[in-house]
Amino acid sequence: MKTFQKLGQMPIGLTVPALALLLVIFGIPIIHLFLNSINAPAFSATNYYKFFGQPANVRVLFQTIEVSVVATAICLIVGYPTAYLIVTASRSLRITLIALVIIPYLTSGLARTYAWIVILGDRGVINNVLVHLGVIHSPLQLIYNTMAVYIGMVHIMLPLMILPLVSAMMGIDRSLMAAARSMGARPLTAFWRVFFPLSLPGVRSGSLLVFVFCLGFYITPAALGGLRDAMLSTFIAGQVASSFDIPRIATSAFILLAIAVAVLSMLGLDLAGAQGRAPTPARKSWVARLPIFGLLKRYFSEFLSPYRAKLWTTQLYQAGDNSSLSNIVGPLFVLLVMVYLLSPGLIVIIMSFSAGAFLEFPPSGLSLQWYRSFFGDPSWNGAAWTSIQIGVAVAILSTIVGTLAAYGLNRTHPRLRGLLTMAILTPVTIPVIVVGIATYLGLVNLGLIGSTTGIVLAQSLGAIGIVVVIVSATLANFDRTLEQAAKSMRASPLQTFMRVTLPLIRPGVIGGAVFAFLHSFDELVITSLVSGYSIRTLPLKMWENIRNQIDPTIAAVSALLMLVPVLWLIVLYLTWWRSRPRDHHSLRELAT
Amino acid sequence: MHAPIQNSEVAALHESPVLPQIEFSSVTKTYGKVTAVRDLSMTVSRGEFLTILGPSGSGKTTTLMLLAGFEAPTAGDILIAGRSVAAVPSYRRDQGIVFQSYALFPHLTVTRNLEFPLEMRGINTAERTTRVRRMLERVHLSDLGGRMPSQLSGGQQQRVALARALIADPPFLLLDEPLGALDRNLREQMQIEMKSLHKEFGITTVCVTHDQEEALTLSDRIVVMRAGRIEQTDSPEALYDRPATRFVAKFLGEANIFENHNFKIESEAEQPSGTVAMIRPERICIVATDAGKRGDGDLRQFVTGIVDDMIYAGPLRKYHVRVGSSVFIVREHVAARQPIFRPGDGVCLNWLRSDIRFVAT
Repeated sequence: MKTFQKLGQMPIGLTVPALALLLVIFGIPIIHLFLNSINAPAFSATNYYKFFGQPANVRVLFQTIEVSVVATAICLIVGYPTAYLIVTASRSLRITLIALVIIPYLTSGLARTYAWIVILGDRGVINNVLVHLGVIHSPLQLIYNTMAVYIGMVHIMLPLMILPLVSAMMGIDRSLMAAARSMGARPLTAFWRVFFPLSLPGVRSGSLLVFVFCLGFYITPAALGGLRDAMLSTFIAGQVASSFDIPRIATSAFILLAIAVAVLSMLGLDLAGAQGRAPTPARKSWVARLPIFGLLKRYFSEFLSPYRAKLWTTQLYQAGDNSSLSNIVGPLFVLLVMVYLLSPGLIVIIMSFSAGAFLEFPPSGLSLQWYRSFFGDPSWNGAAWTSIQIGVAVAILSTIVGTLAAYGLNRTHPRLRGLLTMAILTPVTIPVIVVGIATYLGLVNLGLIGSTTGIVLAQSLGAIGIVVVIVSATLANFDRTLEQAAKSMRASPLQTFMRVTLPLIRPGVIGGAVFAFLHSFDELVITSLVSGYSIRTLPLKMWENIRNQIDPTIAAVSALLMLVPVLWLIVLYLTWWRSRPRDHHSLRELAT
Repeated sequence: MHAPIQNSEVAALHESPVLPQIEFSSVTKTYGKVTAVRDLSMTVSRGEFLTILGPSGSGKTTTLMLLAGFEAPTAGDILIAGRSVAAVPSYRRDQGIVFQSYALFPHLTVTRNLEFPLEMRGINTAERTTRVRRMLERVHLSDLGGRMPSQLSGGQQQRVALARALIADPPFLLLDEPLGALDRNLREQMQIEMKSLHKEFGITTVCVTHDQEEALTLSDRIVVMRAGRIEQTDSPEALYDRPATRFVAKFLGEANIFENHNFKIESEAEQPSGTVAMIRPERICIVATDAGKRGDGDLRQFVTGIVDDMIYAGPLRKYHVRVGSSVFIVREHVAARQPIFRPGDGVCLNWLRSDIRFVAT
């Protein structure tokens, strides 16, 4: 009895499946990689000397850092005012704008990168239009250079910057600005002294996310950059493809990892450190690492929240003077950002209906030929079917394992919770190419390279992290006295979980499953490493197409992929909406 | 392995008239270095309404958690009907709890909420339906069975929580700040209702609160806690009238403590060592200085002072009167033709010597 009870009081046991998976597929291999990079058991830094001995390597390294820093800076410069303007917009406009930012965020990165190829290419939209207008005679070299890399990267990363910023800014108590102004602060002063400092957590988590993602960025630089624009991850992938020289690859991977960890620990120190000391804000801090989910939820709830008299607070928010200039500049800025975020997708969707033998914009005629080609060609629809199957498997596995882990973590001592959460989130917080290399080794050890099981396990690593984040955020809002109440009424722990806890955290669980599926459905880097060329997922097929130019069917595929997030938004909206009994019923009451 | 306590066993045991229903025997609970409850011993008898009263951090909630089985004592034992339950998890115990937040399941209707404890005890559907209907009638919520908790007012939620705690006929009821979330008017109404429900069900009740008014109104006995220990246990009247310590005197109502006073309390001769003299504000009469001493001079004590402040509070008038270096609080019921004193007025305070209490410092 006593021992059983002790076990029951150690919910940490629920994290075992997640941790075991992590350890076998990622943890042990990455230690193995590290030992390889330092020539264990001889222990020497030869490999690192060799790496830094080659000027080309050093150039790639600096280029990676430079590109990441610049892209992050651009995202921040563009993202901060955008987020501010979104937050200060009227309620309905704000909801629309957030949706417009979330849709590209949820859209396949490959599809979006492809869109830029279509726009910037030699026979792309811009060149075509300029030639038509007679401005230029021969196409401009817009693609395969550093500029194109920045355009594409910032496009992909911008939602990742804007969403945490919006989340942080919406959390700022509006009356504080009013208070500052009542104490005689001029609007701009109130902004700098009150609003800006309070929005810094959003700046931090947004910059952190963007920077670390940029470091490991692979698809966009490889697709849009020239030969000289190689990033470290492209470089590592190249090494993997040409010669599987483990010590060399391990060294490059660990240098990349070291930069990521250095930045993470500089900017995000409290990820681990403060967690033990201040459990509540710390919990927020790692949830804030992927704050999109919290924001999404708040976003959906805002749809339904009865109209609150927010108008006056909105007006108080307006920091600038109400001169006609700022009245034009603000909306114009937001409009430009939205055009930048959304037009590539729209262009691809329009082009996908083109009737010609090549993709052109504007299309000379309309047809469904590329869609027919997609659904008729077994290599395309087979890849899509494979992706769906793998995605469902990943969603199921990671939702179960991740929910258990999140529940266990929620009931664990804060210090331990911080550590374990960090561990479980590693696959989504460090550069993806490093995860890919480690996972490759892990699956080699298990003999699962080139198998569906292998791909599912590899993709589940990240998906579990995502599920843990979302379910944990839901659990953080869960009132635990409800469980006590159930137990006081003689419900056993299992009954309590099934009858009370699970129904109440279901929206989080469903949300986790959706994002896990999305993660798998869009995963390219890890999958390309572990698929062993025997399994074709949709992203792999697309990537192959993008690189080998170019079956225009990909336009139809991209267009379809852009509909996916809209679909998911609807699914999430429905589950989260349904989970709000208060509003649900007040609506019903209104109706009757 | 202990065998879990069977319902029937518990039932048989708490039929026993000799044993107290609940007994804490030298219970200590520590969290890390913090001792929340220290060497606590108390008993609750059958049918009694006992309130544990204390400021936040006094250990009262921990005591309730221990009693409910959500926490296990670090040392000592808790007996229910004479049987140790320290190692029995809450879901194997038989009790009804009303939580401070009510903890109504937000995803279940009122009816399903009430059915929950019956279902967990394996009671069949027909019986459940009858009992829920009867209980809803009893708490005057018959029409609301189909509602979700979020569609109920605070008072209705409170009644549903109470009904849910009582529906399975548990041997005792635990209340955690039961009226804390209600506004003042509703709270008074609910106090009366709870009192009558307690009388009707005759169920042993342990209530935890920091609200002295709630404690005084509802309880048969009050346990005042402070810093993890019991300060005093007594009936509400005795507690208010004869507080044992300065803490109890100050925590329950207002008290004038005779401290640093530069006049002689004439009954000081009888004062036990280690105590201070105390008098309740409503025991002091306030009259004009020239009103003169009245007949019962040898029973009363008179001092003179100056009004510092007058606070009008509906049926009461409260004076702060400076006597030498100390300030007395005087509370007087507003009545017709009563003189009203203004700040700066000289007044004479007097009280019966027998109204002086000595409380431990």
